[in-house]
Amino acid sequence: MSNSHLFLKSGFPRAPLQNGLGRYVCQLQRLTLKFCKNNGSSKGMRDFIENHLVDFAKENPGIVVYVKPRRHRTPVLVGEYLNGEREWMSCRNNTQEEITKWIDLLKTQNGNSSSLRLRKMWHTDVPSIQGPWTPFLLRSPDAQNQSYPSEQASKPLDVPQSATEKLLELFKQQQLEGGQELLTKKRAE
Amino acid sequence: MSFLAQSVRQVLRQTTQRLTTTATRALSLSPALLQQNKLAPSGIDISAIAKEHQKECQAICDKINQQIGKSEQGRLFAVVHLCGKQFKVTPGDIILVEGYWPPTTGDEISLDKVMLAGARDFTLIGRPILEAGQVTVKATIIEKTLQHTKTHFKKKRRKQYMRINFQRSPNTMIRINSIEVNRPLNSSAEAETQPSKRLF
Repeated sequence: MSNSHLFLKSGFPRAPLQNGLGRYVCQLQRLTLKFCKNNGSSKGMRDFIENHLVDFAKENPGIVVYVKPRRHRTPVLVGEYLNGEREWMSCRNNTQEEITKWIDLLKTQNGNSSSLRLRKMWHTDVPSIQGPWTPFLLRSPDAQNQSYPSEQASKPLDVPQSATEKLLELFKQQQLEGGQELLTKKRAE
Repeated sequence: MSFLAQSVRQVLRQTTQRLTTTATRALSLSPALLQQNKLAPSGIDISAIAKEHQKECQAICDKINQQIGKSEQGRLFAVVHLCGKQFKVTPGDIILVEGYWPPTTGDEISLDKVMLAGARDFTLIGRPILEAGQVTVKATIIEKTLQHTKTHFKKKRRKQYMRINFQRSPNTMIRINSIEVNRPLNSSAEAETQPSKRLF
């Protein structure tokens, strides 16, 4: 089992040089393709160079592409970034499609991403605009002038009517009505 | 405003209650029981309350419009719904989308599902999202990369079973460029809007 993640650096999302605020600047500056002219492990790389490399270079005028043949060595991709980072990638026995994908990844990323574990998916310079919440937000200033212990503040906000109280109330009402009935009876008499 | 709404609700409730009491009086044994919280004032005009409420809403909207018209609102923020997650963003922020997402670097997009937009003095809250075109949030894709390598290791003891997998999923970094309120608010229009027909 690999324990490499235990020693992995962790960090927060950052973009180099305020990238994207005005316009987007491609961070990949140089791309080096190293390969062998006759070894089988470089077949995909040779195919890529024959078929797609010129188109890639035309589409991305900002990226300098170096092609370096060397005898009997594995094919390698090296990307160099605007922040000075250098990413080395072995492409042994990779097919042409795989190499296209890896080059695309090198092109779209800002540096070596595998070396950082992100702790947040969000970065801001202005964490709060309406101010942080406090318990006194949108509250009446009366609470400031309250002196403790206070009878009023210690009671619950809503005390439900108990069954006894309800019965008492009913009884009183009935008594009242009874009195009224008596009165009406007397009046009728 | 809330107390106004409450009073309207109370009036409605009490009227219904009265109706029921009159209907059930013949059957009930103790009508006094039902009548115990009989409403005293019956002269409250619901339409007047509604009109007052409307006026108050309009006043608030006018204040906000005035502020936006003079561009005194300061920095805006918004809560956007993006790829199943909600982000609170303000211009200049960076957010990350995890997993496969087609836009590539350099693309300028506008985030349409704005759930909430606000400034120092006001907040516009959507139900659940704000009207389309009310607020625009513009963003640029600045990076598409892969996560750090995650190791998935499984082992069962004494069963000759062991698996190890390595996984890196795509990540997209987005820069928020601007948040703008496009058209002036209108309280009556807000009241009239039907629920949007878009499916999310």
